[in-house]
Amino acid sequence: MFNSIFNYFYQFLDSFSFLIIAVSGLAIIFGMMGIINLAHGEFIMLGAYIFTILAKASVPLVFAIALGTVFVGIFGYIVDKLVVSRLYGRALDSVVATWGISLLLRQGILILLGPSIPGLTTPMGTFAVGSSTYSIYRIVLAAVAIALLAGVYWLFMHTTFGLHSRATMQSSTIAQSLGINTGRMYSMTFMLGSALAGLCGALYAPTMTITPTMGQAFQNDSFVTVIVGGANPLIGMTASGTVLGVIQSALSMLFGTFFGKIGLLVVAIIVIRVLPQGFSGMIEKHMVKGKR
Amino acid sequence: MKNKIKCAVTTENISAIAVFVFFLLYPMLHSAYKVLNMANFLITVILALSLALIWGYTGIFSYAQAAFYGIGGYTYAIFCKNFANPSLTPIFLIAGVLAGFLVALVLGYFMFYGGVNDVFVALVTMCFTLVLETFLAQTAGPEWAIGKAQLGGFNGINAVTPLTFGAFPVKGEALYALVLLLVLAIYLALRIMEKRNLGYCLLSIRENRARSEMFGYNTAKIQMVIFAVSGAIAALAGVLYTSWGGYIVPSAVGMTQATMPVVLVAAGGRKNPTAVVIFTLFYLVLSQNLAASGSQYSLVILGLILLLVVLFVPKGIIHSLFEIIDEKAAVLLKNGSIRTGGKANEQKNP
Amino acid sequence: MRKLSSLLLVAVMISILVTGCGKPAPSSSSSGPAESGSIAGQDPIKIGMLEDLSGDFSLCGTYKTHAMELAIKEINESGGLLGRKLELVAPDCQSDNQRYQEMARKLILEDKVEVIMGGFSSASREAIRPIMEENKMLYFYNNQYEGGVASHYTFCTGAIPEHQVMPLMEYMIQNFGPRVYTIAADYNFGQLTAEWVKKATEQYGGEIVGEEFLPLSVSQFSSSIDKIQKAKPDVLVVLLTGVTQSSFYGQWATAGMNVPIATTINIAQGYEHLRFDPPACSNMYVTAQFVEELDTPAAVDFVKRFHELYPDEPYVGMEAAAQYTGMMLYAEAVKKAGTTETEAVIKALESGISYDGPAGKVTIYGPTHHAIMDIWIVYSDEEHNISFKKKYDQIIPDWLEKEKGVDLTVNSPNTQFTP
Repeated sequence: MFNSIFNYFYQFLDSFSFLIIAVSGLAIIFGMMGIINLAHGEFIMLGAYIFTILAKASVPLVFAIALGTVFVGIFGYIVDKLVVSRLYGRALDSVVATWGISLLLRQGILILLGPSIPGLTTPMGTFAVGSSTYSIYRIVLAAVAIALLAGVYWLFMHTTFGLHSRATMQSSTIAQSLGINTGRMYSMTFMLGSALAGLCGALYAPTMTITPTMGQAFQNDSFVTVIVGGANPLIGMTASGTVLGVIQSALSMLFGTFFGKIGLLVVAIIVIRVLPQGFSGMIEKHMVKGKR
Repeated sequence: MKNKIKCAVTTENISAIAVFVFFLLYPMLHSAYKVLNMANFLITVILALSLALIWGYTGIFSYAQAAFYGIGGYTYAIFCKNFANPSLTPIFLIAGVLAGFLVALVLGYFMFYGGVNDVFVALVTMCFTLVLETFLAQTAGPEWAIGKAQLGGFNGINAVTPLTFGAFPVKGEALYALVLLLVLAIYLALRIMEKRNLGYCLLSIRENRARSEMFGYNTAKIQMVIFAVSGAIAALAGVLYTSWGGYIVPSAVGMTQATMPVVLVAAGGRKNPTAVVIFTLFYLVLSQNLAASGSQYSLVILGLILLLVVLFVPKGIIHSLFEIIDEKAAVLLKNGSIRTGGKANEQKNP
Repeated sequence: MRKLSSLLLVAVMISILVTGCGKPAPSSSSSGPAESGSIAGQDPIKIGMLEDLSGDFSLCGTYKTHAMELAIKEINESGGLLGRKLELVAPDCQSDNQRYQEMARKLILEDKVEVIMGGFSSASREAIRPIMEENKMLYFYNNQYEGGVASHYTFCTGAIPEHQVMPLMEYMIQNFGPRVYTIAADYNFGQLTAEWVKKATEQYGGEIVGEEFLPLSVSQFSSSIDKIQKAKPDVLVVLLTGVTQSSFYGQWATAGMNVPIATTINIAQGYEHLRFDPPACSNMYVTAQFVEELDTPAAVDFVKRFHELYPDEPYVGMEAAAQYTGMMLYAEAVKKAGTTETEAVIKALESGISYDGPAGKVTIYGPTHHAIMDIWIVYSDEEHNISFKKKYDQIIPDWLEKEKGVDLTVNSPNTQFTP
């Protein structure tokens, strides 16, 4: 009995952490700027590449992850300064521009580093519960996902930066008139979002083949999670990560991974119809009502 | 009357005439292979125009044109496989177009009556395309068949009968002529609509939806119908493609294919169908030449073009070009007290 | 300023277009050593090749291209074919089926090649096969696939389930036990090969205890691995393709199960044993007609010549040998027929042309247009060392003939059969 429950819980945690870690960067950028970063997958790919190259050069894993995150963050900052900052307020144009960037990154890495580079194996081994073995690393990833949510919460709710961000998200004109440098907010946010994408890549690199197109594995699920989550990064991520994680793991266990994937997409379409503002819209409405 | 003619002399109109004359003369100057190739390009022009209709005129950014393209193509292929009579193929063409229309209608209803707009439309249509592609790619087993037509999974359906009128299969130059005719028809329809009530209605929805609603327009219904029409046009392109190649495959529904019309319309000039036609031609020729020369850099160059266009020429290259030439011409001719029309002299729309 | 910049932009793009179009249409591949030019006024024989130099399939596309270039160079250096030099026309199909179609038409109608070789995924082959048939163009598909193609103009010299699945399952069930679990990519290749696995398992007294098909975009396999653990199989048949799905091996290895893996695509084709750290590919059995590590004299010499021409080649996989052999078989057939005229060459091929090369003796089997060849059971251990467990001699691909009644020397259904 315990074995089965643990089994379900493990599968759910696995889906949940994948979605949360993959989506965090995208959600923050989208929530703040209304920009869908179509190069999100490629930023993740960059993080994975940097991590793998460093780890293979015997840099300790934790440092490699940290450096991967930081470098992609800096790269994101550069991209913002060169491209994205000219496209604030033009959401659809930014979609096209970021798609151009994703094309450049994917093909550029292919030309520079070839179709794949040798990867790492999943560290930390396994433990057994009942007749099934589980990967310790995946439990670590789940812990990271939860820590990520906690970190984002702390950032948005308990720091000045967070306060300014929430103000800009709510109404950028009023925030500006109160003295907040919204341009700088956007740049910092894009940098943060990129860094989180780099973190995702670095964390998942040991479990995957390192190729220029590996970002695509994260991209589709991330977009779905963002739609379902809605505009508020924190609430949206948590709610949609949980709900979609449950649905995907349940369907995968009952019917197979194919149905897990399709189920995710179908649910997204239905949620949009029923809750056009995503989960965060629904929850925010309730919060507002509650305060009255 | 004289004024009307002067108003019509714009760079856009002149280049439109030039382009269509070029298309008309093409078969007489080039080999059979090149004509067949150009026919395929024209089919992509139809697909791009379908996006120009909803994105350029109505402000609906859809990633689902490739999905409707695929639906049209698959419907046609399935009918062809089930009924081996080639003279029925025109009916299948209509069936394919109708299928695209209906699916788009339902999806449109879902979205617009639910208040989904702007970027969320992009995301929902993206999801829809992904679901369709994933579903089609896994239909490989023999159990996946509609009547006699095996869906074929990743390999798709091949050896599809080409479009046949009576006893004449539409191939080679005949196909080229048919496609060109359709391109011309759709293009003219768009240009004419631009100046009619429907065109202005779409523009107002694009510019400010809330205000349009307050004027009494049922924006959700209009968006849904236009979305369905563009789905039909995309499906038409799909049917023509299937007839051209004898083959329809899930990757025709994939994300790369879905992004193609977006790239073409964005870079060409979404608000201007002539710009879309010209740019599509240019882009397709360029990318095919890059592929044929075996260059690794083809995708890099394309990505760069996209970036540069969005950053520096956001209205679209060709569209901006039209405006520049109009302005320059107006300045030049002003001195000779002849005034031409053209968008440069009208109130500039943001 | 805005106006100036957009004009500049257009100028830049036009110049790119011009340089792009500037290359002459029948261009040889940029790094190829193939020589064009005529001998004593004779035109070169144009060989068309459709492979992927960019995109998802470029991993194998690159070494297949190099194999073809090696073959052509060697033929040219020994005097050409029928006294004429060979010239390679090889556009990049960018792992895009539509490109394959466009380029196929270009090669046939514009470049007017004598034969077309290539294609990696089955989807790309099926995209161009009707074009070949419509234009009566000889086509060599030199790649492993799920079998079943019966077409007058198509010759498949790669390994098919009769070569790979049957011997593999026989070996695995005899050595490890009857419980078989299959995990496969959810598209034609995966599903059809899984059908063959079922067939083979029943034939050799085994039992399928589980089967799962995964979409190509799946990269995380926790729930699949969980299911496999629950089913407790003796043999795990893995038919996953593409780079995204290849993440499975690392994840499986860390699950720490001792079940041996049987596969038809890995190691030999995509050299996972070099791209992943041990123990990702440990305890794996693959059937192939050739791998870089093969120690027959012909194989060793082939790899040596390959590396002389391409010192940076990461791996010479089984499809390189297939492509090379395919080209050599065509050359032999042309010599026998005395002409490059398509019907004559097809007749020569159907008479049972052989070539003895890196994969041993490979012979075209006339009634089915597939190849008779030797197959090895290749084993990768925990350190990813390669050893050879068994050899099956000269397997004849006659399933199409025996079970589907196909005899291509008589008439051609021009379709693909499934089991």
